[in-house]
Amino acid sequence: MQVMRYKPEGIDELVRNTKFTKKELQIMYRGFKQECPTGLVNEDAFKEIYAQFFPQGDSSAYAHYVFNVFDADHNGTISFEEFVIGLSVLSRGSLNEKLMWAFKLYDINGDGYITKEEMLDIVKAIYDMMGKYADPPISENAPGDHVERVFQKMDKNRDGVVTIDEFMETCKNDENITKSMSVFDTIL
Amino acid sequence: MAAVAAWLPFARAAAIGWVPIAANPMPAPPLQERQKGEDEKLGINVSGRRFETWRNTLEKYPDTLLGSPERDFFYDDETKEYFFDRDPDIFRHILNFYRTGKLHYPKSECISAYDEELAFFGIMPDIIGDCCYEDYKDRKRENAERLMDDQVSEAGDTVQPMTLREKMWRAFEDPHTSTLALVFYYVTGFFIAVSVMANVVETVPCGPKPGKTENLPCGERYALAFFCLDTACVMIFTAEYLLRLFAAPNRCLFMRSVMSIIDVVAILPYYIGLGITDNDDVSGAFVTLRVFRVFRIFKFSRHSQGLRILGYTLKSCASELGFLLFSLTMAIIIFATVMFYAEKNVASTKFTSIPAAFWYTIVTMTTLGYGDMVPDTWAGKIVGGICSLSGVLVIALPVPVIVSNFSRIYHQNQRADKRKAQKQARLARIRIAKNASGAHFINKKKKEQDREDKIKQGIDIEEEPKDSRFESQHHHLLRCLENTTGPDLHARYIKDREFVEMEYTYNGLAAPKAQSSPPTPSPSQSSQGNPVESSCCSRRRGKYQFARSVSDTGQELNDIQIAVPNKTSSKTHLNASEPPKINSTNTTVTTSAIITTPTPGTTSDTEESMMTVSTTTSPGNSNIVRISTL
Repeated sequence: MQVMRYKPEGIDELVRNTKFTKKELQIMYRGFKQECPTGLVNEDAFKEIYAQFFPQGDSSAYAHYVFNVFDADHNGTISFEEFVIGLSVLSRGSLNEKLMWAFKLYDINGDGYITKEEMLDIVKAIYDMMGKYADPPISENAPGDHVERVFQKMDKNRDGVVTIDEFMETCKNDENITKSMSVFDTIL
Repeated sequence: MAAVAAWLPFARAAAIGWVPIAANPMPAPPLQERQKGEDEKLGINVSGRRFETWRNTLEKYPDTLLGSPERDFFYDDETKEYFFDRDPDIFRHILNFYRTGKLHYPKSECISAYDEELAFFGIMPDIIGDCCYEDYKDRKRENAERLMDDQVSEAGDTVQPMTLREKMWRAFEDPHTSTLALVFYYVTGFFIAVSVMANVVETVPCGPKPGKTENLPCGERYALAFFCLDTACVMIFTAEYLLRLFAAPNRCLFMRSVMSIIDVVAILPYYIGLGITDNDDVSGAFVTLRVFRVFRIFKFSRHSQGLRILGYTLKSCASELGFLLFSLTMAIIIFATVMFYAEKNVASTKFTSIPAAFWYTIVTMTTLGYGDMVPDTWAGKIVGGICSLSGVLVIALPVPVIVSNFSRIYHQNQRADKRKAQKQARLARIRIAKNASGAHFINKKKKEQDREDKIKQGIDIEEEPKDSRFESQHHHLLRCLENTTGPDLHARYIKDREFVEMEYTYNGLAAPKAQSSPPTPSPSQSSQGNPVESSCCSRRRGKYQFARSVSDTGQELNDIQIAVPNKTSSKTHLNASEPPKINSTNTTVTTSAIITTPTPGTTSDTEESMMTVSTTTSPGNSNIVRISTL
C-alpha cells in the first residue's frame, strides 16, 4: 500500500483562490487533515462519510456523483484544494456559480447536456439516500415521475436534453430554487 | 458521529445538488450562534504532567467526562487549567482517543488500572480499536477467570433454581459443582478401572482348577466371580448412560456424540452375550464381541483432559496423518516390489510374494528389524539398507509438521472463535449506532412537532436545551432531503416523504414500525381529515400489520416487497418505547394517503447483509471452547 503524502498549496494562494478567510482555511485544513492524514480523500472514504450522515439509506451512488464533481482533475482523489474550492463555490459563490456546480453534478459525462438518463440516475441516487423506510414508501416509479416533471419544466425546446442555458434560465426563474440556494450559505 | 463533524459543511454544501429538482422550498437553516472564542486551547494537568489540546477535540465526544460540562468540576481557577489527580501514563492514551478517535490499549499497563481510568473518564471499553481489542479482551478474560477461581471456592449453591434435569447435566459435565457429582465421577472412574483390570486379568493363567491338570486362565477358573464383576460394572455403566441420556438437553445430539457411542459400544457386548446361547457357531462371534469390552478404557477420556486433547489433535491433523500414511504406503510398495524381485530366485526364500515382502519393508522402515525375514542376495541387502535409511527419513519428516500443525491449529481455532465473537459484538455495535442515529433524528422531529403544536395551542413550553451546532445542522440537512424527495405541491394530495423508524424484529429483519393504534391526529390535521383519508390510513395500517405478521417468515417487509434473506441472528429486540408515530407532515401540505400498487423490487443492499449475521454453533465448536480452558 503506497502511502501518499500530499501537501496543499500555500495558504495565501488558497485565500486568493477561494472566498474563505485565512482563519477559516486553517480550521478547515485541521479538520481535513485529522480525518485524512494523507491529505487526500479517495472515493471509498467519501462514501463512508456520506453513509454516516445518511444512515438509513444508501448514499453511495450520490456520493459517487458528488465526488466526481469535486474531483476537478478526475484523478480519483480529492485534494484539499479541490475540496476547498468546491466548498467555496457552494457556500459563498454567486447564484450562477452554484447553478453551474449543480449542472456539473447532473451532467455525469460532462458533455454539456443533461439527458433524461443522467437525470434519472441522479434522482434515483437521491431517492436511495432516503432509504426504503420512508413514509409513504417510495414507489419504483417515483424517481421516473420526478424526472418527467423536472424535464417538462426545464427542457424548453423539447429536444430531449437540457443545456446549461435552459438549466440556468429555469432555475433563475423559479423563485423556490433561488431562495433555496441561499439556504446553504456561509456554512462555517 | 461527532468524528465526522468536520465534514458536515461539506455534506450540507453538496445538498445544493438537491435544490434544482426539489419541488418545495427548503426549510430554513437553523440559527447559528457564534460560539464565544473561536477555538481555544485547554490545559489539562494530570498529576503534574501538562497536556494541551483544542476545546473542539475534547468536545468531539460529549458523553465523556472531558467532553461534557462535567470537566468544570476539575477546573482550577488559579492556574486556569483542569487538574486531575490520576495516572498520567494512561491519560496519554485517553487523550489520544479524543485526537484520533481510536482508543488503544497499552500492553504494559495492568488491565484493571486501565479499566478504572476508562471508567473515571466515562469512556466505554467497547470503543477500543481493532488493533488492540483482542489483546484487551484476552487480558480481561484472564483476569476475570482468576477472580472467578477465587470466588468459586467460596461460592455456595447457585442462586438460580434449575430443574432437576439441568442440575444433573451440570453435575455430569463438571464434577466439581457438588459433592454428589464428585462422588459419581470417582465411582464411575473406579468402575471403569476395575472393569478394564478384570478384562486384563481374565486372560492370565491362574493355575489349574483343583482336580484338573491343565493351566486355566483366571477367567475360566473363577468364571462366576468374573461374571458377577462384569455384571456389576455393566449395571453401573448402563445406569450412567441412561442418566446422561435423561439429563441431556438435546437427546439426539447426545446420542450422536462420540462419548455416548463409546458408552454404548462398551456395554453392548454384555447384553448381546446374555442373549446368545451356547451355540458353537455364534460363540466364536461372542468371543470377538468381548474384544469390544476394551473400549471401556476410552470412557476415561471423560475423566482426562489430556485424552480429549489427543483425540482433538488427531482429528485436526487428519490431513497430515493422511499424508504420512500415503507416503509410507508408496515407499512400502516400492521397496517391497524391488525386494521381491531381488530375492525371487533364492531357494526357500521368505519373500514368497510382494505382499509377503510388505511385512519386511514395514519392519525395516520403522527400524524395528525383527529378523524373521532377512535378505540373502547382495542386491537384496543393498535394497534393505536403502530401505531402512529412507524409513527413518520418511517417518521423521511428517512428525514435526504434525506437531507444529497441531500447535498452529490449536491457537488458530482459539483466535477464530474469539474473532467470531468479537465480530458479532462489533456488528451489533454498528447496528445499534445506526439505529440510534436514526431513532435520534425521529425523536428530535417528534419533539419539534410537539413544540410547534403546543405553540399553536398556546400552551407554555419550557426552554429546550440547546442542541450542538452539529446536531441542528445535521437535522436540517435530513429535513432538506425529505423535502427533495417529496413530490410536487401541485400534484395530488400526497404526504411528504419521511424517515420512518426501523424496528428490528427478533429474527434480524428490519421492518418499519407498525402503527398499532390509529394515529392520534395532531391538532393541525384533525380539521382536515376526510373520509378518504381515514380509509386510506386504515388500509395502510392493515397493510403494515399484514407485513408485520408476514415479516416473521422473512419474506415481505412492507408495501414494497423487498426480498430479504431469512437469516436468524442473535440480535436483541431493540426496545421501541416510543409512542405510536404521529404522522406529522410538512407545514403546508395536507394529505390523504394514496397507496401505490406494491411493486416487487429486489435489492441487494450491502447494509442488509451487514445487518443480519448468521451464527452457527456446532457441538464441535463447543468442544473446542472447553478445551481452551485447560
